[in-house]
Amino acid sequence: MRRVISNPDFRAGFVDMLPATLALAPFGLVCGVGAAAAGASLAAAIGLSAIVFSGAAQILAVQLLAAGAPLAVIVLTCFVAGLRFLIYSAAMAPYLRPLPPRWQKTLAFLLTDQAFAAAIRRFDAGGDARAAGAHFLGSGFALWAFWQVTNVVGFFAGNLIPAAWSLDFAVPLCFIALVAPHFRTSPTIVAALVAGFGVLALAALPMKLSLIVAGVAGIVAGTLADFAKERWTAR
Amino acid sequence: MDGALKLWVVIAIVGVLNYLSRLSFIAIFARRHVPALLGRAFRYVPAAMLTALVLPMVVAAPPGDAATVSVPKIVAALAAGIVAFFTHSTLKTLTAGMLALWALQFALCGIG
Repeated sequence: MRRVISNPDFRAGFVDMLPATLALAPFGLVCGVGAAAAGASLAAAIGLSAIVFSGAAQILAVQLLAAGAPLAVIVLTCFVAGLRFLIYSAAMAPYLRPLPPRWQKTLAFLLTDQAFAAAIRRFDAGGDARAAGAHFLGSGFALWAFWQVTNVVGFFAGNLIPAAWSLDFAVPLCFIALVAPHFRTSPTIVAALVAGFGVLALAALPMKLSLIVAGVAGIVAGTLADFAKERWTAR
Repeated sequence: MDGALKLWVVIAIVGVLNYLSRLSFIAIFARRHVPALLGRAFRYVPAAMLTALVLPMVVAAPPGDAATVSVPKIVAALAAGIVAFFTHSTLKTLTAGMLALWALQFALCGIG
């Protein structure tokens, strides 16, 4: 444990993630508020944020619970909202292959939208897989730790931040920070355009299915564009 | 089932399902080669998934109420995207995006 904490890559990952943990604070507060509003005990609220560790799933769970939805509906809805983790897991897998199974199992737990995007960038930057893995552990741990703090604060204090400040806008901004630097090749831009139009066109689908359907469509479009580009340049 | 117990059951089941989703392909590909086609497709995961995740947060209006689409949010998001593209910095992107949003909101409707 001490060896991990003193690892410079772990520390760098932790520090690199701090701006994003701040940006996610309004989202964490909302999740804590939601748990309190649904009548959860403090232990259950912490259990929810510490174990489920996914804002979208947490919000859906407490909203459906408060509305008296059957257990199967709650579980299925949260599972569908978390289907994107399957895709993140697949995209992360080649990078984590050189690491020991214990690391793979730990990092899998910390695989969130934010940690995924940051880790892909770190692994793509090259270098030793273990160093990048330690960086991932640091950034994932920072996200997890601050997520618990903001959830508990939201549980007790309610929504501290006035809505007029629009601080909830920080959540999309920190995803923009991670996605915009990718837009350097034409297939990537095709992938983003198809996914973007798709998610807006399919907004009416239940259980946030629009995200996974549009995301997969974007990935397929990007891959096809990649093949087309390769043919074009090979000629 | 009373509410408190039901919540704990939800936490346990969703917690396990979420973890298995996150672990799934990491565990599957730990001992197998990733097929070349999938390896190529994986390159487009961040761009496609993050765009699909972020766009509704920026442009989505409440259902049936397209008139409330927030122009300041869209403009601020574009400004933040340009900053992110050139700086690769989360902090600079956050600063630029929030300042742009506040400036536009202030310009459009004053403090209130």
